[in-house]
Amino acid sequence: MGMNLIPGVEATGSALSAEKIRLEIIAQNIANSNTTQDASGHVYRRKEVAFEEYVTSPERRVPGYVDENLYLGVKVTDVYDDMTPGRMIYNPGHPHANDDGMVQMPNVDVSREMVDLISASRAYEANLTVVKTSRRMAQQAIAIGK
Amino acid sequence: MAELLDNLYSQENYLISKKLLDATHLRHEALSNNLANVETPGFKRRDLPKTFAIELRRAVDRKDFRRVKALLPRSGEDRQAKPVRMDGNTVQLDEELLAMNRNALNYEYLSHAVGGSIKELNLAIRGRV
Repeated sequence: MGMNLIPGVEATGSALSAEKIRLEIIAQNIANSNTTQDASGHVYRRKEVAFEEYVTSPERRVPGYVDENLYLGVKVTDVYDDMTPGRMIYNPGHPHANDDGMVQMPNVDVSREMVDLISASRAYEANLTVVKTSRRMAQQAIAIGK
Repeated sequence: MAELLDNLYSQENYLISKKLLDATHLRHEALSNNLANVETPGFKRRDLPKTFAIELRRAVDRKDFRRVKALLPRSGEDRQAKPVRMDGNTVQLDEELLAMNRNALNYEYLSHAVGGSIKELNLAIRGRV
């Protein structure tokens, strides 16, 4: 144990799943950009994911391994609500309008979500490229001496 | 018998390329981790320090193969990298991918070098191709 046959596979795998969660959350935000009432009866709040680097805890480190910390990539530590207020629009006929005829809109900015979507999918693609490179390296390691 | 086998595996070329192969493996792990954390706020990129190659070259020049054996590649935070983004992350996607491709090519070359030494041994043992 210690060194893996496929180098960096944990890190890349964790990044692929973390970016996928991020993409799903972005899709959810865009889908709900006009949701004035969610399941709990409140206006939809934009969700955001928190990423953190994932390093092996000291007690799990393998003694004699060439590096003191095994890199495990990234993990999603939290999916939280963005609490910044959304805009109010005047629409007295709306079923969710208040007494003044104002409707509280979600704090989702679709263009911002699109920018996040692009950077998340770029990161996902980059990690897919890494999978291919790691795989090729593992094949070469197997072929040593053949 | 064990001594004979030890000698077989302590040829200079084999030792050096094996050490470099370990280093490229480790560097690939560090670079994969950098790419995994391209979106992590405040993440600092890791890499193999440049001093490793310098120390290895020095040991080889002095024909100090005990030193070559003892050298351990270790990756660490790259302090030269400057943050280019607001959150302090120092990973640059394109540079990281470029470094990874170059490193993978080195790995290919070195695995051939290590494999070549083993193939030569095999040839010597069997006496035929």
